[in-house]
Amino acid sequence: MNKKTWVPSILVVLALVVTSVGIAQAKSEDSVTVYSSRKEHLIKPLFESFTKDTGIKVTYLTGKGGALIERLKLEGKNTKADMFMTVDAGNLWYAATQGLFQAVQTQTLKSNIPSHLRDPKGLWTGLSVRARTIVYSTERVNPTDLSTYENLADAKWSGRLCLRTSKKIYTKSLVASIIYHQGKNKAGDIISGWVNNLAATPNAKDSHIMNAIVSGQCDVGLVNTYYFGRLIAKNTNVPLKLFWANQDTTGVHVNVSGVGVTKYATNAKGAIKLLEWLSGAKAQAIYASLNKEYPANQNVASDEVVSSWGSFKQDKMNLAQTGVLQADAVKLMQIKGYR
Amino acid sequence: MEKNCLKSKIWISVLALLVAMPIFVVALSWLFPERELWAHFSTVLLPSLISATVVLLIGVGLGVTLLGTILAYLVVMVEFPGRRWLEWALFLPFAIPAYVLAFVYLGVFDYSGYAQVWMREVLGLPGFDIRTGSWAIILTFVLVFYPYVYMMARASFKRQKINIIEAGQLLGASPLRVFFKISLPMARPAVAAGLLVTLMETLADFGVVSLFNFDTFTTVIYSAWGDFRSIELAAQLASLLVLVAFFLIFFEKKARGQAKYYSNDVSNKKPYYALGFFGWLISLFVFCVFMLSFAMPMLQLIIWGWASMGQEWSVKYVDLIISTSVLTTSAALITVSIAIILALPNRCKRNSPWLKGLISMATLGYALPGSIMAVGLLYGINQVSEISVYFGGQSINHIIFGSIALLLFAYVSRFMAIGYSSIKASAEQIKPVFTQSARLLGASRLRLIWQIYLPMMTPGILAGGLLVAVDVMKELPATYLLRPFGWDTLAVQVYELSAEGLFERAAVPALIMVLFGAVLMLIFQLLDKKSSKNL
Repeated sequence: MNKKTWVPSILVVLALVVTSVGIAQAKSEDSVTVYSSRKEHLIKPLFESFTKDTGIKVTYLTGKGGALIERLKLEGKNTKADMFMTVDAGNLWYAATQGLFQAVQTQTLKSNIPSHLRDPKGLWTGLSVRARTIVYSTERVNPTDLSTYENLADAKWSGRLCLRTSKKIYTKSLVASIIYHQGKNKAGDIISGWVNNLAATPNAKDSHIMNAIVSGQCDVGLVNTYYFGRLIAKNTNVPLKLFWANQDTTGVHVNVSGVGVTKYATNAKGAIKLLEWLSGAKAQAIYASLNKEYPANQNVASDEVVSSWGSFKQDKMNLAQTGVLQADAVKLMQIKGYR
Repeated sequence: MEKNCLKSKIWISVLALLVAMPIFVVALSWLFPERELWAHFSTVLLPSLISATVVLLIGVGLGVTLLGTILAYLVVMVEFPGRRWLEWALFLPFAIPAYVLAFVYLGVFDYSGYAQVWMREVLGLPGFDIRTGSWAIILTFVLVFYPYVYMMARASFKRQKINIIEAGQLLGASPLRVFFKISLPMARPAVAAGLLVTLMETLADFGVVSLFNFDTFTTVIYSAWGDFRSIELAAQLASLLVLVAFFLIFFEKKARGQAKYYSNDVSNKKPYYALGFFGWLISLFVFCVFMLSFAMPMLQLIIWGWASMGQEWSVKYVDLIISTSVLTTSAALITVSIAIILALPNRCKRNSPWLKGLISMATLGYALPGSIMAVGLLYGINQVSEISVYFGGQSINHIIFGSIALLLFAYVSRFMAIGYSSIKASAEQIKPVFTQSARLLGASRLRLIWQIYLPMMTPGILAGGLLVAVDVMKELPATYLLRPFGWDTLAVQVYELSAEGLFERAAVPALIMVLFGAVLMLIFQLLDKKSSKNL
């Protein structure tokens, strides 16, 4: 490289940068902007179908939940986002406490989504339900030995248990529900029991837990149902089964993915339209089949594979509690050495 | 003369301050104490965390220093079978993002991976959890980061005067003695620079540590932010990381000592010839490193990618590739331009300790976890907005947030250390005699820069630019938060798929990334060959 090429190349880049900054994001009336912590491949088909039905375009930006919330807060009144979409009620609850949402309570939503899956003030709406329950090896576990989440702390599971990391929101919400039902002290004992029974360092992913059980590293674990659904879609005769936990006590821990319309939405009308559409039969069927989740809309049937796991009693704890108790849950897990 | 100095000092300070802005924002978090949370963190988490982080740093530091230096020495000083292509092949692991390598290793070597299945079923050995303890994660980091040391050490060995080594040989010193007494001390500054970069990158890593579920400072920073909703505490913890990085820089300067060697003759003559069995042994060793750090993970990615190509490939990839290329090139060029200004030898800088301090500040962003850095930037911009609103002006948040400019700013702040260290190293290689004679002959400063400094610094500039480009290509957290609508990159795609556990599909964008990186390496190789001919 000689000096003659230096200056022009730098100038060209600077010009590039300036022009790309100059391209303002023109926003038209017939488009809705969504910030989403759900991954692109899970939301794109929904949005495309919505645009086909209504002619309203959807622009979206995916990101990590916490970071997007921070960004929304700082953007304040000038935010481009009309809607925020995330997983786990704890995250939705937190976004609501930060004043990021506006209340939306329409007749359509009330008739489509049961009330325990919606924020009481209408700040957010759950759109799909996932259950976190026990998965076990059909080769090495007799299902009659299984009963509750709490029972996995029993010494009989010593060296046979695989869990997901305590850093994942799904674990935090489950532990929050145990604190809610059992109180802090008992919950602490249960976590200690789990940690003592671990066959391996807690896994980063639910899929790793299932791989570990299949390969014999452990015999039981806790997973979100749709991860199991994805696995058997790939490999039908995998020697694993789901067991519905706590059927004689509190019920299976469920959680939601959901959305809220942002407080400073420039196109709130469009966002509400999208929200209602997402709660309707067509979108709910996409949720059910695409990601093997349970539709929040009770009139929509689950995916065939999902139905084959049978019905179960749900934990009816108000989901906002997962948010309220989240910090307690994390503290407890950190103290008990659950990584 | 004096006035000149003032002007250049102001220029350099303003640039350095801008680049260091996120660091200052993070440091300001101490204005908002979080007593209650600190109590929990300091009793429950910090003790085990500090020991884990220290173990990790020592392990990775020793590993990359040994591996990087030995490999560099072998390919530069020794002739052995296959040396020519291995010398370049060893750069290739740069192109694989650390988190990709981590998920490949876990997929292969974890209890359920086929390596262990084969060990248990064929060899009858007991299975084990590779995520217990810290050896596996240290090994992973070493295999990802050794190229930093390798690259810097190789450049340094290449510039060593062959005749010194030959003199050593004539006096009957053994090859090992020559290595320890002559070559290694001369390469020390370069090795230290590579080591520093590695340790900073290890400190800031989030992807690898979360896959291994290994607790370091970074994971606790995320816990403070994500679980306890305290961005302040997260920033305070992050500023401790910066402090650690500051110490590392200090030690690196100490490690250099007053060592200065000037040499510009790059020679391809090898002082040692390893023939026969011994030569093949060296070949085998170097080849094994290449296999483990590049060929095997690539093969695994190809197997996975092959299976999911049909499902994963779409028109979208054209956009991903364009976005990645534009961001990579622009960020590298801007970073390198600023790094050159900061690194140019300058009388005014020499006798101004605070200016040197400022420049060091500008390189600290590398030790900050990407997310914290990004949020720090957002907060910094927000402060500017609030001041402007206070004086009856406009908020600039919505203009700056989600603009390309901000993302590039983040890249420059984050990767300045990489560009700067390699450019600075090349600036230090210039013999003062050149500049003194040019000055005596009445050359102006500008002419000095154009005709002496820049041409002589070209290898360092190229290396710095390449390293920044590859790092930008792999960068995830800051890109994920700050990117404008529709500016997804390959790294974002890899993350979105692997976060859902869809590793087979994630292999497709990962492979494209590696190809991309390999192309960058190739360009670098060509330019590097050209520039060393011109010297």
